[in-house]
Formats: sequence, structure tokens, C-alpha cells
Amino acid sequence: MKLLTKTNQIYLTFSLVIYLLTALAFYQIIRLLIYDEVESRLKVERRDFETYVRKHNAWTSAPYFVENKIEVIPVSKRVPIREAFKDTLIENRYDGELIPFRQLTFYEPIHGVIHRVSIRKSLIQTYRLIEVISVAMVLFLGLLLLGMFWFQRKLSGRLWLPFYGTLARIKQFDLNNDTSLQLSKSEITEFNELNDVLQKMAAKMQQDYQSLKEFTENASHEMQTPLALINAKVEQLIQTEQLTETQTNWIESIYQASRRISRLNQGLLLLAKIENRQFSDTQSVDLSALLTEKLTDMEEVLSFKQLSINLQTTAPFAVQLPASLADSLVTNLVNNAIKHNQPNGRIELTSTADQLCLSNTGGQLISDPERLFERFKKESTGPDSVGLGLAIVRQICDSYGLHIAYRETGGIHEFCISHVLT
Amino acid sequence: MKVLVVEDEQGLAESITDYMVKDGYICETAATFRDAEEKIHLYTYDCVIVDLTLPDGNGFQIIETLKRLIATTGVIIISARNALEDKLKGLEIGSDDYLTKPFHLSELNARVKSLLRRRQFGGHTEIRFQEIVVVPHTRKVFVNGQLTTLSRKEYDLLLYFLSNVDVALTKASIAEHLWGDNIDSADSFDMVYSHIKNLRRKLLEKGAADYVQSIYGIGYKFCQP
Repeated sequence: MKLLTKTNQIYLTFSLVIYLLTALAFYQIIRLLIYDEVESRLKVERRDFETYVRKHNAWTSAPYFVENKIEVIPVSKRVPIREAFKDTLIENRYDGELIPFRQLTFYEPIHGVIHRVSIRKSLIQTYRLIEVISVAMVLFLGLLLLGMFWFQRKLSGRLWLPFYGTLARIKQFDLNNDTSLQLSKSEITEFNELNDVLQKMAAKMQQDYQSLKEFTENASHEMQTPLALINAKVEQLIQTEQLTETQTNWIESIYQASRRISRLNQGLLLLAKIENRQFSDTQSVDLSALLTEKLTDMEEVLSFKQLSINLQTTAPFAVQLPASLADSLVTNLVNNAIKHNQPNGRIELTSTADQLCLSNTGGQLISDPERLFERFKKESTGPDSVGLGLAIVRQICDSYGLHIAYRETGGIHEFCISHVLT
Repeated sequence: MKVLVVEDEQGLAESITDYMVKDGYICETAATFRDAEEKIHLYTYDCVIVDLTLPDGNGFQIIETLKRLIATTGVIIISARNALEDKLKGLEIGSDDYLTKPFHLSELNARVKSLLRRRQFGGHTEIRFQEIVVVPHTRKVFVNGQLTTLSRKEYDLLLYFLSNVDVALTKASIAEHLWGDNIDSADSFDMVYSHIKNLRRKLLEKGAADYVQSIYGIGYKFCQP
């Protein structure tokens, strides 16, 4: 949820509750005031009534007393003599409508007989008053609420504008690019501070990245020549006739170690180059055809390892890749499928327009499948593996809008490449 | 045969020349761009092995000059740079082969030989070793005059051996020669073994002597028994 939506939501809920409570309190106060008013008028009428009765010792419905306004009923039984206010509904004799009244009941002796006297006052006008006031109040409060809400939104939208600007810039920021992170100044100190910190961080990251990039490349390149020298000298040494068995073993170890460093070096250099996007000549490559070709090339290796191939290429799987990287991707995948296979195993290639899957039989995975694509993550402990193959595959996929997934079901290891939907 | 090695790393240049001289080549070295330029202007070489990164210049320029002077000289690039663009550019301006450092001397040797064969005789020359005759342009092998059918890899293996007679070849260099740089596992050594076994059997069947000698821990050597 967006920050603005969230604050607005909280604000709106809070205001609504407050306004409702206010409206309720307001309603109660008005009601109380009206009742107080009606009741004091009823009391005045009671005094008038008592004065009249005391004077005449009798009661007649005077013509100005409209019916229902005063009701006098003799009560024979003894009742507790006390007065009480109550709300009542009385039927209008003209249209039979029930009309709210406030009623004051008290007991008064007339001619020695106790009479129950009820004086009523219609609440019809006051109810209308309450209604009108309530409606007006709800209307105004609602308008106020909407107004505040609108204002709040406008205001915070404006206030947070630099923040969203910064966010957009950071999203666009590319470490590979030479352009540094440029953030615009705002009036708000906190945002300026945030921008300063971000700019410094980005500059530092860029610098570190650049130096690391240069270092890897230079180091890799500079290492190749001495390695070539070691290899050449060892090869010359091998030609010497009088080598003892121990010496041969030593030489063999040196030779293998130097070749391993060289492979490692080449792998790392390739990774660095892909990361730095030094390959620019992307072209449309049919990976499924390339994989098929590579598998055919490896025919002898496959028959030596007694592996059978099953190709199910229903449609070509076209990707945009530089040719050399496509080759590297395919080679690493095939090598992986061969290397981690078992005797009499299978390699299966299935391709559709959306997905390309290469699966192979093989033993149980020892390590975490999640970490399979990491650098130097080796399944076998053999000296022949430098653990960069799948990392290279992953790096190529990540850099060129492809998604690679690994799945293992019942001893079948499957690598699937699909396009990343944008 | 005259070969010029243009390489600034002294030790590597020495190793290459030593290896070549043993095979009967006349080798010269140039450690700098200027040296190399001077030499190619003064003398004629059958093959030039060039490193691309030189302290005072670029190997590409040497190749360009060379091709302008004598177009028939074979050129092999040796470089630590393995970018495809470099390889393509090298081949485009007239080099015949491209080897990425580090490489096997035996591989370089095999490539030089094959290059010279192609350059000088159009591949129409036979390679002879005792009773074995290989006709490269038809890819045919004769032992004691009888045609011997070899698989593609066995043929490549034999040619590799014949390019490096009397030289100890490591299993790794054989594997890489046969399957390229990418085949790099313990398994490939087993495959080398099985191919050698087959080649040996086929040669012996036609009455050839057993020339393949295995060297403990290292690899194989093709030589007089």
C-alpha cells in the first residue's frame, strides 16, 4: 500500500469516528435542551391548573384547552402520589396518526376525590427541529470531512513529491552506467538529508564497483601469461627423460593446478565481462538448435558415458544473446548434464516456443538446490570442477532477460529456461 | 622452415622456440613490436606466431604489415584475450589460427604443422612415419600400403601424434585437442585412453609396430618402440 493511501485511510477513519461521536453528542445535547424546555412549560401549566382547581374547586375543560392536552381521571385506589414525566404517543383523532407527546402526570384532589391529571405537550415541532439540525449537522460535517480529506491528500501529495522523485531516480539508477545518481533539491530538510546520504552511497558503490571490475579484468588478464609460462615450462620438463616417478607425480600436480587456475581465471573473467555488459552484439539465437548441435558434437563423450539422448523439440526457442554467450550457456548446460549423470543415464531436451528444458538423470543433490547457481558451489569434490559453470549460466540468463529454474523429481535434474515476462 | 615468435614474455618465447627447434624448425624471437616489425621487413618466414598485447604496440598491426609484405606467410595468434571479437578480427585481417593462453606447446606445434602443410602444399602432401602414411587432404591412413579406416577422432589423434613425434603428450592436451577447450573432466581422460586403445589396435592389426608408449602419470608418447 502506498504511504499516501495509508495515511489518508487512517486519517479518514479517525475523522469519521470523531465526527460521528460529535454528531451523537450534539444530538443528545439538543434533545436534552428541548426536553428541559418542554418540561418547564409543562410545570408552568401544572401550576396554572392547580391554581384554577384551588380557586374553583372544580375542573372543566375550558374551551381553549384542546383535547388530549389535559386529561383528568378520578382514581379510586390509593396510588403513590408523585409526579412523573414520560414520552407517549397519542393518536391524532383526525388522521389516526401517532404523534409524540411529552406528558406530565400528577395527582390532584378535586372535590375530595383524587384525580390523576396528565398534561401533554406535542413534540412534533421539536422533533422537526432535531431532524433539521441533525441533517444540517451531518451535511456540514460531511462536507468538512470531505474537504479536509481532499486538502490533506493534496497537501501530502505535494509534501511527499520530492520523496517519490527520489524513489523514481533510485529505481532508474544503474550501477553499470557511468552517470552518477542525481537527486533534486527539495524545501524539506529531511528529504535533502536523505538525498545527500543516498547520493554519497551511490557514488561509493559505483566507485567500488568500477574498481572491482577493473581489478578482476586486469588480474585475470595478467594471470594468463604467467600461467601460459608455467604450462609451457612444465610441458618442457615432461619431455625430460630421466624423471623419477615421484618427480612425475609432482609435475603432474603442478600441471593440473596451473590448468585449474587458468580455467578458474577464464570463468571469472567471463563472469566479470557479462556483469559489466561487455557483450553488446545480441542477435536472435535458437537455443534449442544450438543445444541439439552441441549434444551431437558430444556424441563420443555421450556414448562413452553410455548416455542416451531424447530430443523433443516441438518449436524453436529463440532468445536474444551475443553468439559467444549463447555458446557458453549451451556448453555449460551440456557439460553439467554430462558431468553429473550416471552410467546408462539419459539426457532429455524439450523445447517449446516458451520454454527450453534440459534434464538429466543423476544422483541425489548434496547441497541446497537454492545455492546451485552460486559461484564456487560444487557438487562433486573432483579437481576437474571449478564450480563456475552454472554461475555463468545464471549470469547470462539474468543479464539477458531469461529465467532459469532448477527442479529435481525422482532423480531427474531439470534446468528450464524461459523468457522473463516484462 | 622458419618461424618467428613474437612474444614479450621471455620464458614463454624460449619454451616455444625450444619446442620448435627440437622439431627441426629455425626459430627466431622478437620481444617487442619494433623488433618484430624490423624482422618481418628483413627476412621471410614461413610462419609467424604473434602475441596480441606487446609492450610497445598491438599484434594486429604486425599481422597487417606482414600480410601486405608476404601474403603467404602463415600467422597464428596467441593471446590472453579470448573475446570473440578479437578472434574474429584476427581471422579477418588474415591470421590462420587463434590460440588462447595458456595453451599446450604440443597443440601449438600441431597447429603450426597443419598450417604449414596447408600453406605450402595445399594439404596435398603425405605425412610419413615409418610404415604409416597419412594423406591429409583425403583424410586417409595407410599402414604398409593398406587402407586403415579410422574414426574421426582416431584420425585426429593420429595426426596429433604425428605432429609431435618423440614428445610426451599430456592426457589433458590430447583431450583438449580432440574435444576442444570445454571438455575438461576426469572422464575425458578415460575417453582419451579408450581412443588410444582403439587407434593402437587398428594400427597393430595392419601390421604396424607399437609406436604409442604410455608414460606413467603424464600421458603418451609416439615414438620408435
